[in-house]
Amino acid sequence: MASAAEERMAPVRRRDEDVVHIRSRRFGDFEVPADRVLHFAQGLIGFPKARQFVILDHRPGSPFKWMLCLEQPEVAFAVVEPARMVPDYVAPLELAARTLGTDPADVGLFVIVTIPTDPFAMTVNLMAPVVVDVRTRRSIQMVLEDGRCDPSYRVCAPRPAAAVES
Amino acid sequence: MLVLTRKVGERIRIGDEVTLQVLEVRGGQVRLGLAAPSAIRIFREEIFLAIEGQNQDAQLPDQSRLADAAAVWEAYADGKRS
Repeated sequence: MASAAEERMAPVRRRDEDVVHIRSRRFGDFEVPADRVLHFAQGLIGFPKARQFVILDHRPGSPFKWMLCLEQPEVAFAVVEPARMVPDYVAPLELAARTLGTDPADVGLFVIVTIPTDPFAMTVNLMAPVVVDVRTRRSIQMVLEDGRCDPSYRVCAPRPAAAVES
Repeated sequence: MLVLTRKVGERIRIGDEVTLQVLEVRGGQVRLGLAAPSAIRIFREEIFLAIEGQNQDAQLPDQSRLADAAAVWEAYADGKRS
């Protein structure tokens, strides 16, 4: 189910020429409405030149999304909305809104997933979420330094919590 | 590396817009104050390196990596529900 913030990211109306073409050897070719492009003025951390991305659904209903870089089409990340994967997750929307200079209701928040060769060991980076102002699509990879946000939080616990309790 | 000596309260200007001030020196620790435009990100180095490394590790090698993770997650979430 798409969040309210995400739905507002969808384009209302566009002309045919307002389409961005992405040609990637690794990930294939995509056509994306220009008004879905996210602008990271400072790039991602460690990727200062990766400033324009699009976020695309993996499959309808899946929490997984692609975050593809326009300038460097071989650079892509998997992202998710953490509320769908991390129990008791509280999104830092107020802080994100202040960082972006917008209203908390206009903030879209995603976390980057690190997927090792054994996908069961995948982790999400709760310390450095990607936050988006859905009206302007200004975006920042924000860093939460309060020490409680794990940069590699494991989403599939090795044993289900129920088994631990019994 | 440029090396400068400063007393407590003194400042260093980096470019036109960044100011670094020595606020306090106590034991082996130095407290610094930084003033910079919001477009300049300031982190403790270890935090920067941790996030940079995590971002590098998170780069997808190909399409199937994400599809595999999505399938694993679906099976895991179904297992938790049942």
